[in-house]
Amino acid sequence: MSELAAQLADLQSRFAAAVAGAGDERALDAVRVDFLGRSGAVTLLRRGIGQLPAEERPTAGKEINDVVERLEAQLQDAQGALESRAFDADLSRTIDVTFPAPDAAVGTIHPIRRIIEDVCSYFERMGFAVVLGPEVEPDQYNFDALNIPADHPAREGFDSFWITDTLLLRPHTSPMQIRTMEQHAPPIAVVAPGRCYRRDAVDARHLFQFNQIEGLLVAEGIHFGHLKGALTGMCRELFGDDQQVRFRPSFFPFTEPSAEVDTTCPKCRGLGDACNMCGGSGWIELGGAGMVHPNVLRNVGYDPDVVSGWAFGFGIERLGLTRYEIDDIRRFVESDPDFLMQLH
Amino acid sequence: MRVPIAWLRDYVDLPGNAQAIADRLAMLGFPVDAIETRPVITGVVAGTIVSLEKHPNADRLQVGSIDVGAGTPLTIATAATNVAAGQRIAVATIGARLPLLTIERRKMRGVESEGMMCSADELALPADWFEDGILQLDADVAPGTDIVEHFRLGDAVLDVDVTSNRPDALSMLGLARELAAALGTPLRAPSDRNPGTAADPAGTAPVVTLDSADCTRFVAQRFDGVRVGVAPTWMRVRLALAGQRPINNLVDVSNFAMLETGQPLHFYDDARLTNHHLIVRDAREGEKLVTLDDVEHELTPQALVVADQAQAQGLAGLKGGKASEVSASTTAIVLESANFAGARIRRMSAKLGFRTEGSTRHEKGLAPALADIGAARAAQLLVAIGANAYAPHAFGAPVAAPEPVPFAVRDVKRLLGFELPNETIAAHLRALGCEVAIVDADRLDVTPPAWRKDIVIGADIVEEIARMAGYDNVVASMPAVYPNDVSSRPYRLERKLACALAALGYHEISSYALHGPALAAKLRRAGIRPSHASVEVRNPLSEDQRYLRYALGPGLVEYFARVGRPIRVFEIGHAFTTAEGVVEESALLSFGFTAPATDEPEWTDSSFLRLKSDAIALIRNVTGRFPETTRDVRNAMHPGKTAVLMLDGREIAAIGQIDPRLGHAFDVPMPVYVCNMYLDALPDNATPRDAPPSKFPSTYRDLALVVDLDVDAAAISQTIVKAIGELCTGARVFDEYRGKQVGEGKKSVAVRVTMQLRDATITDAEADLAIARALDALRERTGATIRG
Repeated sequence: MSELAAQLADLQSRFAAAVAGAGDERALDAVRVDFLGRSGAVTLLRRGIGQLPAEERPTAGKEINDVVERLEAQLQDAQGALESRAFDADLSRTIDVTFPAPDAAVGTIHPIRRIIEDVCSYFERMGFAVVLGPEVEPDQYNFDALNIPADHPAREGFDSFWITDTLLLRPHTSPMQIRTMEQHAPPIAVVAPGRCYRRDAVDARHLFQFNQIEGLLVAEGIHFGHLKGALTGMCRELFGDDQQVRFRPSFFPFTEPSAEVDTTCPKCRGLGDACNMCGGSGWIELGGAGMVHPNVLRNVGYDPDVVSGWAFGFGIERLGLTRYEIDDIRRFVESDPDFLMQLH
Repeated sequence: MRVPIAWLRDYVDLPGNAQAIADRLAMLGFPVDAIETRPVITGVVAGTIVSLEKHPNADRLQVGSIDVGAGTPLTIATAATNVAAGQRIAVATIGARLPLLTIERRKMRGVESEGMMCSADELALPADWFEDGILQLDADVAPGTDIVEHFRLGDAVLDVDVTSNRPDALSMLGLARELAAALGTPLRAPSDRNPGTAADPAGTAPVVTLDSADCTRFVAQRFDGVRVGVAPTWMRVRLALAGQRPINNLVDVSNFAMLETGQPLHFYDDARLTNHHLIVRDAREGEKLVTLDDVEHELTPQALVVADQAQAQGLAGLKGGKASEVSASTTAIVLESANFAGARIRRMSAKLGFRTEGSTRHEKGLAPALADIGAARAAQLLVAIGANAYAPHAFGAPVAAPEPVPFAVRDVKRLLGFELPNETIAAHLRALGCEVAIVDADRLDVTPPAWRKDIVIGADIVEEIARMAGYDNVVASMPAVYPNDVSSRPYRLERKLACALAALGYHEISSYALHGPALAAKLRRAGIRPSHASVEVRNPLSEDQRYLRYALGPGLVEYFARVGRPIRVFEIGHAFTTAEGVVEESALLSFGFTAPATDEPEWTDSSFLRLKSDAIALIRNVTGRFPETTRDVRNAMHPGKTAVLMLDGREIAAIGQIDPRLGHAFDVPMPVYVCNMYLDALPDNATPRDAPPSKFPSTYRDLALVVDLDVDAAAISQTIVKAIGELCTGARVFDEYRGKQVGEGKKSVAVRVTMQLRDATITDAEADLAIARALDALRERTGATIRG
């Protein structure tokens, strides 16, 4: 063995010992400086090459370079081992993933508004606009223009809160039919959600303040079947794909023909039996609807011989009771935080 | 209306059970609210008491021999005292099932009893509405007749809703007619011929003077030979099933004829009337009238009365008077079958505070022709109980023959979406009593029946056709919706606000828009005057519904009090004020929260800043713009912690802490922070434009200034921005300190001023020069000094 080879062998064994003893990045870096640095052990060896005979120099240079390569590889391996050891510590940590998380600071939208939004988005998709209006209305909009003149027995059905001889809190959203038609020529397609008021004693099924949504479509060629089609679609949007809609004859002065609208009870799927949601009938009442009465069309300057239309008015709270299986309508007004968060 | 199916079957054959009949009625527009089933009763037959003897071993029992039509007469013991030989009675035979027992052969004090004589109670009829003891049957019921079948006692009673346009259907015959038409079966309507044809004996003919336009027709008819007694049992059973208590044969006839035809009727004791003369007139001011229920009414001219020449004899259409009530001594009566204006009767009934079977029919507006039909039917029934009928006298305008309504057949397809052959349409309408003339392929002339006032135009006829064809036959299809120019902007704004607030952690609540005097009391307690005049409701159900809210804030504060723990909520709703009698209504948003009081220097309030940051985020969300804040003082708000947010010099929102005295008055245990906005004040959403950042680095200088306490952060940063100009990209106050070191009446404020050029890197010299300009301006405008 040449002298150089012996020196290189010694260098390699010392290097291996030093690397093995380096417990962290700093120590490893010191090893690198000691052996491979500008004035490290390898540099000293390289300086010795100049004293060798000229023909041996290339071989000696190559031998040193080979060793340097090996040392650098060892150094890299050692560094990699150190890094992965650091991850090992992290990877060994275990937490209780079932530990309760704090509540996210998100708010909620009232279930009544969410139903309104669902109904409106359905009709908006069909091309309807959504209009809002005042809650204090003159009797002209509430009754007269809707074909309910003073002394009409149907006024009895609207037990209203009166402000003056002619102003009252609207007992239904139907005044929006008149307001919209007065301002726009046909064709017209709107839904109008909003608060209404009636002098009902408050109990589990009644509020004196409630929300309705009115729908109105007037154009040439609109008929009763279109009403059934649109409402069937609405019910499917709210309650599910196989929802059915039933019309029963009824009477409202502002529609003719008129209908009470029922939809399949979403709880018992129309089976009835002992269902506490629909009382066993298999149907849930949505509200009133019908073809807009010719007198109403005439009152806003439309020609009932040319255009026809339908209208409906449904109680939102009733839809909510059904949709969320709520047994007391007062909870909508109480708006208890737990109630709101639970329904969100 | 209580509708015994038993009664309907008098006029129409009805297939199916009670549920099927109820469903059929519902699909005709007469929903059934309840089906009252009747107990199962079997084995009860009619029997004749052949003989009656005292029980050999019991003083209080009698033993009858009862002929039940077949076999040997039955021996039956009874404790009842109203029995006598020759009577026709109901007998429960051995094995009979009654509501509470099954009849078995048994010995009563040694005598074998082969059944039981039945009282009304045993037939599940109200016991106190019928004779004490054994129910007496009519003489024409043959022994052996099954009594349950005879009276149809097993049939359920329906509670039927009749809409206000169909007073004609507030009657058994009216509903039977609807069912017959829908089923395509014949209607067995009683004759409408009045049996009274004889002329009244001289000087007894009833005369009616109509001194009010609110009575259009009055049929008066006199009967004599009247003997007041018990009505036939068949009639009493019908009435009882319908919920009408039998009284005597005259009252029962008037009730029966009303329930059958829908025409209210009244009988006067002719002997109590002065000169057989009735007058329909307004009551006189202060006029007194005692009605049949012994209540004395003091009347005003709003009331319509039927009077004789001496005094008011009844409230028209509502209730008869005591003075001319039929009694045991009555021998002659005058029948009233009148048509009164519905609105007048309704107003009178509302004012007097009661309704009757008669008034509920009158107030919906009956057809005048019904007056003649009702009188005829009552006359038939009176004759059947032995009265002599004289010819009816009709007063008022003659009943106009119904006008034919021209009907365009194409409207069926146009309004319903399906077609029917003209013959089918005509058949449906005829079944309802209309006369139909087919003019041509597209035109029918439809004459409604005299008892219907609700068929006036083509659309009414379309509804009748739809009802007969069945609403289930309306085929669902989707309409083509044409584009229209109606805006959804206010709705979209509300939606956007609600979504943004929910994202900011607020819960939407919905509170009552009506409140009582308690709110004003709480404000008073807090030493606060209401900011607006409240709109008052005239007819609240209770005092706590007396006023309309003029703000949403109180609702929020009440909610905070109820919840009692920190919570963030919002409400979008309308509020109302009044100015000189004009009601002003606005859409409002209020949001806010309760937060525990924090331990921080008195000149800072992090809850306020939190509220302000949410309000600004919300305004940015819906307007795309950044509002400015100015100090404000307003009612019900903390005077030192209130501000308004402005855009273009207009107030957009008011924010701040609620006056703590108000929170205390509402029992809220924590400070309350609220933001109020009028939705109309929000400008349209501005579309933000992209401003690319400068490619050159910015620099900043932090300034420590000492200013007077009343110099606010906005003034400092505005002064800096204005003094430096375009170069300045921000001047944000980030700290404030007060204390002895700063000096009395002074505060120390730290501001970071950032500067940047768009086309070059700003040099230190340029920045220092700009800051020097800013400091000059601050000294001049705000008196600021650099803190040494």
